[in-house]
Amino acid sequence: MLAVGYFSVVILVGWSKGLVAEMIGNGTGILTGQLQVHAADYQPDKSVHATIGGREGTDVAALVNAVRADPAIEAATPRVYGGGLVSTGSATAAAVFLGVDPELEPQVSRIMGALERGRHPRRGANELLIGAEMARSLGAEPGDTVVVVAPAVDGSLGNDLFVVSGIYSTGLADLDRTFALIPIDALQFLMALEPTRIHEIAASVPDPWQAAEAAERLSAVLEGAGFAVGVESWATLRPEMVEYAQLSQAFQWILLFIVFGMAIFGVANTMLMATFERRYEFALLLALGATPGVIVRSVLWEAMALGALALAAGAAITFPVMVWWHRVPLDLSWLFGDFTMLGALMRPVIRIEYPWLMTVQAAVALFLTAALAAVYPAIRAARIPPADTLAGR
Amino acid sequence: MTKQRMPAVKTADVWKVFEHDGLAVEAVRGVSLDIEPGEFVVLAGPSGSGKTTLLNLLGGLTRPTRGGVWIDGRDLTSMSERELAKLRLERVGFVFQAYNLLPVLTALENAEFSLLLRGIPPDERRRRVEELFAVIGMTGLEDRRPAKLSGGEQQRVAVARAVVGKPALVLADEPTANLDSAASDALLGVMADLNRERGTTFVFATHDTRLMERAKRLIRLVDGAIESDDVRQDMGG
Repeated sequence: MLAVGYFSVVILVGWSKGLVAEMIGNGTGILTGQLQVHAADYQPDKSVHATIGGREGTDVAALVNAVRADPAIEAATPRVYGGGLVSTGSATAAAVFLGVDPELEPQVSRIMGALERGRHPRRGANELLIGAEMARSLGAEPGDTVVVVAPAVDGSLGNDLFVVSGIYSTGLADLDRTFALIPIDALQFLMALEPTRIHEIAASVPDPWQAAEAAERLSAVLEGAGFAVGVESWATLRPEMVEYAQLSQAFQWILLFIVFGMAIFGVANTMLMATFERRYEFALLLALGATPGVIVRSVLWEAMALGALALAAGAAITFPVMVWWHRVPLDLSWLFGDFTMLGALMRPVIRIEYPWLMTVQAAVALFLTAALAAVYPAIRAARIPPADTLAGR
Repeated sequence: MTKQRMPAVKTADVWKVFEHDGLAVEAVRGVSLDIEPGEFVVLAGPSGSGKTTLLNLLGGLTRPTRGGVWIDGRDLTSMSERELAKLRLERVGFVFQAYNLLPVLTALENAEFSLLLRGIPPDERRRRVEELFAVIGMTGLEDRRPAKLSGGEQQRVAVARAVVGKPALVLADEPTANLDSAASDALLGVMADLNRERGTTFVFATHDTRLMERAKRLIRLVDGAIESDDVRQDMGG
């Protein structure tokens, strides 16, 4: 019972951690990135005028390099944002234009990796990559020419012909309906932005839980280097994910209490039965001069020994499954399809993240359960009347 | 002024009443006894006369319904369970009618159990038990479990367990019940030696006439009360 409890808690917590990791990974990895650098006044309005370095712009390459220099950061890429319309003539769709560096962007986000048909847009070319939902509403296919209209920062209305180079599909309908990716230089030209003017540097941090610390560190470094910017981690950009992760952590404790709370009654019952069956033995020990304290300690030690055996058995069944489902997540796609959680695409897999801390916490809980469950039976055993019991009364 | 000798065991108007199916059963009725250190006492009487209950009262295994029991002048009725257990461990040895050996332990481990509870080192425990086993004819059977021993052998292990710690008082309930005459004589010889050489006080409950013949003091119980209490000269040992 304790071994099964240990297995249940560790595997469920590992799965929960895997779910959170996947949610954060997908929620930040598909487009947002784990860390973003903006002009100090960019948030929360996200005005197209609020470029890093103001109207003068900044040395983009130097800023990207400065961001990449942080030890926690794996890659960084500049971005420009715009809003407008995409039209095929027969159909029009509202779009958020994302100006990307086609070489750097795949190192930070996975949106370009979700290419379904066609190819990526090329730097300097009037090409765009649209989502599957937008392509469906426009009736557009790779190779089609579309009109792109976007308000420029000089007050004019930028418009030009673009070729649909490819269609991506992330599985997130809102994203696939809204975002169109354009080479950064082409979008800057369309929006009358100088090449030095960008809205964002997005960066990837392999361990998302290091992003907040990296953001703090980077903020100080960039400020020291003379960049007037704000640095935000995904935890600030997507607070709902942090809340879910915290909720999930609280749930781990609830799970621990429920599982071992239930186990305690089962174990106590078993211990009571065991001590009842051994009442002659305890009566004899008491008759020979064992103090009630000796009996209590002996029953508690036995419970701890049983706990150790249960832990060994629990670990023997838990760790192989844990490693297996970590390396080869159990694929349940035959049962149900992908789903979204807090805007993140989730795969129907049981993926375990190693819950190392919980393996220790659950082991402690197991021993506590064994000990607590044995307290009442131990006291009962110590109170056995020796003469009556030995006489069979 | 002479120092007054303290009884090894003393009872004063001790009663033990059991509740059985709502009825009060008086197992021991108003027994008052003084057993001096070094006495070799036999409690005799028919079944149900209260011998075993009186032994349990004398050893602090059960508390009297009323009256008092003293061992070495210490009032058992005012002691906690822990104090009683310590007293039993240090001063009293029990031989139970049904042997009551622990089935998972060997003969040697059973015999040394009270020494283990006293915290005596393993080598010393083994030495003492082997010495005693040699006297009671159990040499070679040390590693056998109770299931592999005859009734008489089990009884000898039970006696060894009671006396190995050299208690001041040994309470034995039918110790020779399952022994043939030779084994019984050997065992009684061991106990008589302990009685004579160490001054160990023995109180037996028995039907065994051979044991009664060895008694220095024979107390007959009927219906939980003392019918007669005869001190004999030059008997026993």
